[in-house]
Amino acid sequence: MATTPLTTVPQATRPARTKRRSGRGQLGTAMLFLAPALLGFLVFFAWPAVRGLYLSFTDYNLLSEPTWVGLENYAAIVDDPVFWNSMGVTLQYVLINIVIQTLVALLLAVLLHRFTRSMLIRGVVMLPYLIANVVVALVWYWLADYNLGLINSGLDAIGLDRVGFFGDEQYAMTTIALVNVWRHLGYTTLLIFAGLQSIPQDVYEAAAVDGAGEWRVFRSITLPLLRPVLAFVLVVTVVGSFQIFDTIAVTTQGGPVDSTNAITYYIYDRAFTRFDFGYASALSVILMFILAVIALVQMRAFRAGQSDLER
Amino acid sequence: MATSTLPSTVQSSRERRRRFVTRPLGWVTIGFVIFATLFPFYWMLRTALSNNRAMFSEPLSLLPVEPTLGPFQRVLGLQSTADALAEGGSVGAINFTQYLVNSVIVCTIITVAQVMLSAMAAYAFALLEWRGRDVVFGIFLVALLVPGMFTLLPNFLLVRELGLLNTYLGIALPSMFFSPFVVFFLRQFFLGVNRSFIEAATIDGAGQWRIFSRIVLPIVMPQIITIGILQFIFYWNDYLWPLLVGQTEESTLLTVGLGVFRSQTPQGSPDWAGLMAGSLVAAVPIFILVLVFGRRIVGSIQSSGVK
Amino acid sequence: MKKSIITPALIALVAGSLAACSSDADETPAPGGDGASDGDAATISYGLWDSNQLPAYEQCAADFAEANPGYQVDIEQIGWDDYWTKVTTGFVSGENYDVFTSHVAYYPEFQKNGQVLPLDGYIEADGLDLSIYQEGLVELWQDPEGIQYGLPKDFDTIALFYNAQAVEAAGLTAEDMSSLTWNPDDGGTYEDVIARLTIDTNGVRGDEEGFDPTSVETYGLWMEGAGGADGQTQWSFLTATLGWTQTDEAWGTSYNFDDPAFAETIDWWYSLVDKGYMPTFAAQEGISWADQLIAGKAAMVPNGSWMTGYVFGSESDTFTPAVAATPVGPNGQNASMLNGLADNIAASTDNPDAAWAWVKYLGSAECQNVVGEAGVVFPAIVEATDRAVAAFEGNGVDVTAFTQHVDNGTTVLFPITDFKSDVNAIMGPVMESIMSGSGGTDTLPAANDSVNALFE
Repeated sequence: MATTPLTTVPQATRPARTKRRSGRGQLGTAMLFLAPALLGFLVFFAWPAVRGLYLSFTDYNLLSEPTWVGLENYAAIVDDPVFWNSMGVTLQYVLINIVIQTLVALLLAVLLHRFTRSMLIRGVVMLPYLIANVVVALVWYWLADYNLGLINSGLDAIGLDRVGFFGDEQYAMTTIALVNVWRHLGYTTLLIFAGLQSIPQDVYEAAAVDGAGEWRVFRSITLPLLRPVLAFVLVVTVVGSFQIFDTIAVTTQGGPVDSTNAITYYIYDRAFTRFDFGYASALSVILMFILAVIALVQMRAFRAGQSDLER
Repeated sequence: MATSTLPSTVQSSRERRRRFVTRPLGWVTIGFVIFATLFPFYWMLRTALSNNRAMFSEPLSLLPVEPTLGPFQRVLGLQSTADALAEGGSVGAINFTQYLVNSVIVCTIITVAQVMLSAMAAYAFALLEWRGRDVVFGIFLVALLVPGMFTLLPNFLLVRELGLLNTYLGIALPSMFFSPFVVFFLRQFFLGVNRSFIEAATIDGAGQWRIFSRIVLPIVMPQIITIGILQFIFYWNDYLWPLLVGQTEESTLLTVGLGVFRSQTPQGSPDWAGLMAGSLVAAVPIFILVLVFGRRIVGSIQSSGVK
Repeated sequence: MKKSIITPALIALVAGSLAACSSDADETPAPGGDGASDGDAATISYGLWDSNQLPAYEQCAADFAEANPGYQVDIEQIGWDDYWTKVTTGFVSGENYDVFTSHVAYYPEFQKNGQVLPLDGYIEADGLDLSIYQEGLVELWQDPEGIQYGLPKDFDTIALFYNAQAVEAAGLTAEDMSSLTWNPDDGGTYEDVIARLTIDTNGVRGDEEGFDPTSVETYGLWMEGAGGADGQTQWSFLTATLGWTQTDEAWGTSYNFDDPAFAETIDWWYSLVDKGYMPTFAAQEGISWADQLIAGKAAMVPNGSWMTGYVFGSESDTFTPAVAATPVGPNGQNASMLNGLADNIAASTDNPDAAWAWVKYLGSAECQNVVGEAGVVFPAIVEATDRAVAAFEGNGVDVTAFTQHVDNGTTVLFPITDFKSDVNAIMGPVMESIMSGSGGTDTLPAANDSVNALFE
């Protein structure tokens, strides 16, 4: 597919640096490339974010004008046990969801890459992502129902105790995490898969010549070369995880006893059900900062800006 | 990577033994994943072919309860109100073909625009040199972190101010210009592009646009298609924003239109059969999309980033 | 890749956007946008959530347009889940339905913020008689100063839905079911019947030797959530017979969750779980109560009249729907919470007069009779209620279990106060904690203090 109309320059005569390396060199061009995205960013992300920041310092119930209250919302948040509970259960969700999802997706992507070229299997793995979040939640809500669900009937048939997947305080959040793993597995797998494909075949061929086994290849070649993509996938899935909402809204609505009252659900509840938009905005600002820190740490740890493949 | 010092015959039989274990294990895993993935779909299909009224008299049955094509007819707007009521289904109106067309148009606009413009931005961040590049990229990334709740209301007000409520453009507008996700994703792959191509092109006097469109993009095309498909699916299933902005028949998207099958009253039940049928039908176009474009991802395996 | 697809893609994009822009140029305006008459009919936009009532209201709209040639009604129906998001966003953006179906749980906040129009002026000018409505409904839609914000349109009460086949198999009759008694000490005949209807996985009934409370096949009574601050379908009909209500008056500023009568009732209710007659909280979360009833997992569930259509429409070989009145309590009567819906006019409307004309019609006998005859809900006008009862009867459903409360005056009003959503947010988890056994009713006084603190 790649047809380059250019000839490769013979090694010996290639000058050391032909790119213009002055600091501001390509600013003009860059701005042209960036212009539309920049416009979108400013209008649809930056402006609402700034406005949201402003609202976090106000008392705003959506139905009349906001009134300035300074840091009152933030102070109230620190004293709010529901907030701390919310952070706790969100972290629980994120950990379970991300760890399982990433590991299984990685495994699956590698398996699909190395074992089979079948488009059908790849298509099948993608299927759950094609169904809307809300419907996925409802289907599992039924399948996991204590009385009328197949899973519990199965457990009963084997002689095990039934489990209140969505109704038991201890299990509800884990169940929600697993439902979301089910839905997003194909998606994450596909992303990692895209990364796997950008690893050139000759590296694998060299490894095969050297007689390296599957696990060795995985550990020493695949993983390191996947690093930038993995970093990206992790940042995006972690950030996405923190924003879990649909599944909770459709199944447990934050219960039982606030055990699934994740932060985004709590924010939405405060904003649209309790008409406390100022407080909800403050919560959102805090969430943003937490996510920023996490993302930054992840990027640094994974050295996501560099690729081992640069040559 | 240290080369083994064992004679090659011993090595390859060890290798064969390893493969004897890993291969079946690999297949078992794939098999299990496929089962776990497909079973809920079977459940959806079974429910979609059941009579909603009789649904819970046999809640655990693996076969459709009182099999009927009614739910699918309901989804496609072909069932009469009387029949729908008789089957215990929702009586809301669905203009299926219109909604389908709306969804296809809106999602295509968003995906094509967004991926294109984001690719341009990613190019600027990855392969162009300019001062403050990484700082600006960092700021761009912050857009990833902005909670949906912040943007929902201001965007709604803006779209309304522009008089774009109930139009395709209105629904597409906030997402059309860029997606932080796509920029981030593509930048990672642009970074991995073999610089010698670009250097060669620069020597030949090619302008940035040419380099971008003729050289870099083709190399990264599999990833672009991948992200394009994923984004298309995301917007296909998006619910809240299109619900708010697209209220008329001409602007209602498919997933919003299928909301008639969800619970209509407090503490009520959804029209399970209709909802399942609707979801399956709504998934068909994107499934086709995945199959069609999926080939391009596969076909490009050999040649990505190569010799 | 021989040819670059970039340029064609960009062109397609721009063309597509332009097309998208122009193709919808002559759109019908968004709801509420253009109430002023442009030559012919002024359009009034109306929102409601229940699709089962849609046909009846469309009939009303058609009749209204015929009687008022200058007006036309555009009805939009969105399911409950999304309805309020739509309405709230509409308020924020300043563009909402002209008239919308409202609910006492939400309307106080709208009214406090001036988002809905008061109707007193209109009512007086048109000389409307508010006594045609069932008692108590008009008061539900007044603010603390007594200004009217809505005309009652329908009401609902609570009764006990049960499976007639299960009752028969237990050796009970419909008469037994309609004359239940209850008290917080031993549960009266209500608990006896619940025990009798409970069957464990070995076929042993709840009131027989060898009953295994840990392995139940059919529960005599289903727990449908913990009730939160209202307990509309869960326990309000029991506490009312002890003379207890959440607040002492409409728009009260303090709640009574610390009252021993309330704790007694909840303790009794929770005891059913230990005895095995009612599912644990963990076990009831999931598929809704009506489907559990239909599937035979529950024999009896108290719930609201708005579910009558669904329950009675799901008859099967194993399920024969029936309904009985709530049990008679220590005060010698039975009780039910009464809730009434009304239509509000959004303050953002461009044409309040047109909106009022429609609201007036909705509150009139002409429209409510049509709604009554559809046999889906009970309209607020007494005469129309009778028609609804007849319509239900025509479908083979005897609804006296629901209507007797308005006839006998044994209703308690759905509680209305300020900060309702905050009260719910406090009481919800507390009640769930109690009903899942992790907390006790001794946590109620502290919760009540938190609730009352909202009003300070």
